[in-house]
Amino acid sequence: MRTYEVFLKKDGKDEFRHAGSMQAPDPDMALPLAREAYSRRGEGDLMWLVDRDDILSAQPDLMAPNSNKPHRHNDGKRVAAHRKSLREGTTT
Amino acid sequence: MSPNLSPAARDVLLAFADDEHMIGARHAAWIGLGPFLEEDLAFCSIAQDELGHAISLYEYLTNDVDHFALLRSPDEYRSSWLAEWPCHQWNESLVRHWLYDHAEALRWSNVEHSSVDGLGMLAARAEREESFHRDHAEMYLSRIADGDDQGRQMIEQAIAELLPVALGLWDPVAAEPDAIAEGVMAASSAELEARWSAAVTADLDRWGFAYSWPTERPAQSGRTVRSCHFPELQASLQEVIALDPTATW
Repeated sequence: MRTYEVFLKKDGKDEFRHAGSMQAPDPDMALPLAREAYSRRGEGDLMWLVDRDDILSAQPDLMAPNSNKPHRHNDGKRVAAHRKSLREGTTT
Repeated sequence: MSPNLSPAARDVLLAFADDEHMIGARHAAWIGLGPFLEEDLAFCSIAQDELGHAISLYEYLTNDVDHFALLRSPDEYRSSWLAEWPCHQWNESLVRHWLYDHAEALRWSNVEHSSVDGLGMLAARAEREESFHRDHAEMYLSRIADGDDQGRQMIEQAIAELLPVALGLWDPVAAEPDAIAEGVMAASSAELEARWSAAVTADLDRWGFAYSWPTERPAQSGRTVRSCHFPELQASLQEVIALDPTATW
């Protein structure tokens, strides 16, 4: 059996989203079985299957250095406060 | 319910509806027991499609589908023995699914231009589902055909057991000649059987499964006689409704 990751997309501008994973003996059987497993209520108009073996998966070591970089988060509060002060003629 | 339906049309629709009901119920028994999760879901989807067809057909015959479908006396059913057969093993269920869905496709296309109101539209909708059912059966059997001896033998055993029972699918109801004359259905059961046998043997020869074509048929007597498995099947179908036959859902 092979393991596949299933992605579904509804019509329109929505992106493909990961729906889950499933097993099937081969690609030809995977498609109809994936349809019944993940889109039997019409959850998707389009479907991608990716064999899990074809996924490039990053090691945690590669990801770890970026796990604590709060300075890269911009919630916009300081910019908003600055613009408000300009609007109201006060300075900060 | 369609009050204008002729007696012959009722008989033909009843036989089809009962077959769809029984096969849907038998397939649905695999819920939670399928050989692997994905197949469990797919097979039970197929079961649900067949039960949906049964309901659509029963709606021509009654205003109370639940009571009509579940609480008739056995001699009032017109199901074929293949649809009633238990097929508790996966190889049997798979072979029955393939035999039945070949037949079902022919039966729907036979009413595509039926004189019965709306039946042609129902047939077109069902055919979209049936092409998946046939692909599904073929997907499995062709892979088992290319597989090891054990799998091939299990399929051949199921074919030997079920081919003779399957011939009962073509046992016509008594009123069939009238139904054909009225335009309810196009071809006779005998003509459909010839097409079905050709399709089934073509598959078997392509896959290289050993079989011998049966010479005897189930003693269904125009579908008026139930198989020995029917009492157990009907009892299981009645389990819930028997608790309170007057309850509304």
